[in-house]
Amino acid sequence: MLEVKHVTKYYGDFLAVDDLSFSVAPGEIFGLLGVNGAGKTTTFRMIMGLLDVTKGSITLDGKPIDYSVTDQIGFLTEERSLLTKLTVKEQAIFYGRLKGMTESQILKRLDELLEKFGIQEYKEKKIKELSKGNQQKIQFITAILNKPKLLILDEPFSGLDPFNVELFKQEITEMSKEGSMIIFSSHRMEHVELFCKKLVIIMHGKTVLGGNLNDIKEQFRKKNIFVKGDITKEELLKIKGVLEVVEHASEYEVKIDSIEVAEDVFKEVCKHKHIMKFAVEEPSLNEIFISKVGESYDK
Amino acid sequence: MTSKLSFLTGISLKRKIKTKWFVLANLLIAAVIIAGLNIDTIIKAFGGDFNKKTELYVIDNTNVAYDLFKSSMESANKNSQLADKQETTETTESKFQIKKYKKSEKEARKELEKKEDAILLIFHQTDSSILEANLITKDYISTSNYQLLNTALNNTKSILALEQSNISSEELAKLSEPIKIKREFLDKDKSEKGENNEHIMGFIFPVIILPFFMLTLFLVQMIGAEVNDEKTTRGMEIIISNVSPKTHFFSKVLAGNLFVLIQGALLFLYSGLGLFLRILLGGDKLGGVTSEIGSMVGDVLKGGIGDKLIYIIPLTLILMLLTFIAYSLLAGILASMTTNIEDFQQLQTPIIIISLVGYYLAMMSTSFSGSLFIRIFAYVPLISAILAPSLLMLGQIGIIDILIAIILVIITNIVLVKYGLKIYKVGILNYSSKGLWKKMFKALRD
Repeated sequence: MLEVKHVTKYYGDFLAVDDLSFSVAPGEIFGLLGVNGAGKTTTFRMIMGLLDVTKGSITLDGKPIDYSVTDQIGFLTEERSLLTKLTVKEQAIFYGRLKGMTESQILKRLDELLEKFGIQEYKEKKIKELSKGNQQKIQFITAILNKPKLLILDEPFSGLDPFNVELFKQEITEMSKEGSMIIFSSHRMEHVELFCKKLVIIMHGKTVLGGNLNDIKEQFRKKNIFVKGDITKEELLKIKGVLEVVEHASEYEVKIDSIEVAEDVFKEVCKHKHIMKFAVEEPSLNEIFISKVGESYDK
Repeated sequence: MTSKLSFLTGISLKRKIKTKWFVLANLLIAAVIIAGLNIDTIIKAFGGDFNKKTELYVIDNTNVAYDLFKSSMESANKNSQLADKQETTETTESKFQIKKYKKSEKEARKELEKKEDAILLIFHQTDSSILEANLITKDYISTSNYQLLNTALNNTKSILALEQSNISSEELAKLSEPIKIKREFLDKDKSEKGENNEHIMGFIFPVIILPFFMLTLFLVQMIGAEVNDEKTTRGMEIIISNVSPKTHFFSKVLAGNLFVLIQGALLFLYSGLGLFLRILLGGDKLGGVTSEIGSMVGDVLKGGIGDKLIYIIPLTLILMLLTFIAYSLLAGILASMTTNIEDFQQLQTPIIIISLVGYYLAMMSTSFSGSLFIRIFAYVPLISAILAPSLLMLGQIGIIDILIAIILVIITNIVLVKYGLKIYKVGILNYSSKGLWKKMFKALRD
């Protein structure tokens, strides 16, 4: 298990991470969310031992992370960390050997992964000759070459088209099923929502929201009701507790400030004869994120 | 750690050596060295008569000056060659073919029209002058030829003047013969040959240390480029998350030094090939580079330096190796602080200047024999590898001095490792030049 306990990081006088705590169990996919400069990359760098923590502790299976355990960790950085003059094969051998793998193990695994991602033909090509998306695939492949126990992915989907995002998701899910601990950051909330059971949202290095995704959604009082029928926007807005009504192509999205308001909306909707849809849904993670980060900004 | 260190060292070295640019650069270097050592053979291969002598016609209206002039010319030519050859004992034939012209001046002038390089000298006497000469050529003549003729003519005039003073032929011979200088040294360890060696080494040593200077440049550039490449592509984060900065630093230093050793050995090999080719082509028969080197080496060994070489060579090699390590440590530390290759190129300028200072001081050491200033610099790490062996060879410093220089480089290397590693650890993951020096000083304090 990865445990981050009350970690604080200062750069001189600047507080980059403030008393951050979370844990990731084997098989779990954990999301670390935050706007740019929130402290995500600093947190990843501290986990990888690239930066010293000012206060607190980070342990993997109860032991501090040092060079004796880094062979069991995979790391994908936000920016491309590939040596562009090398070929895909040379790059894989370079990073794989640093993970303590033998050349034959690396080449076997590389062939497997290149086939899985449909880019076998790039094995002998130089990294700089590849497209941005294919470079990202190679970066991901080199991060998972060693079948890591702990996989850290900083913005793994950047530069990928929807088809390749799906490929990545499949691989990440598969690794999680095999027991890997996966921690990743992304700006794309729909990706986080699909994967993560647990997450932390940080703002200016401080945790603004954290825990199990379902609990977070349940605790979030604002809900959305989708209504399709002969009711008008004005009628919906008159109901007490309705915050906003968004008009979509054939339905209304009614934003309410608490679940209790849903009953009043239902009563009002029932007064009409032609109602084809009435659904109360959880807010999206994106809404929660914007709401929480907005609150934090306001503070 | 050891396996990752050797892997990183190997991969760095491979990335430098297994490139088409390394092969191409070495092909060019080999071609330049081999061609340079065989340049006379190459020039000859393109044709031309290089043994052709300048025809010098003399019309002697005095009837007494010709023989004296001819012997003066031979003497002046010999002296000129001695000066050109840095006082080696070897001489070659006269470059003039002197002929007494028996036909008229008019005919001589006609002949000169046909022969571009020929020279016509007409001697005559006047009431006011013992000897006067007209120098007639179709084209300009070289400064050296002009000086040679001028010296010979002045000598001829002096001898003619002495002859007219009724001095006996024995006395005249005594006056004409060169002065014998008997050299004595109060210090019994000194000898005339040793004195000559100083002049010879003043010429040879800058040539020997030039490759060291070149290799230092290669070393600094290689380490800077490698560290910057890994930094700018952010590959450094992956590398440092798997190996410690210390391992990474040492791998760069080791790879850099192995590279210069390989490159140095290749330079040595190319020189050997060049000399071998020269012997095969019979270049020595022409005189030139190898015969001069052979003659110099012979003189040096006769002068007693041969015994000294037994300790000079190993001490120089140790000092050079330690200095290469110092340069590589410094280059690694500076490269870690920079955020791109342009910054590093600016930062490496002071390193190159330090190396150049050593190179020029080594060349000046014969002119400023016994200078305290140069002697102090012979102890200064980074400079000592170039300067100290030169001074040791010239006998201006002793083994103790070179041992002190070695100890000072070792101390410098220890300091560079101890404090440089702190900077390196922070520097390699620093991507901003903002507050750079503050960050580095903080790293030193931590």
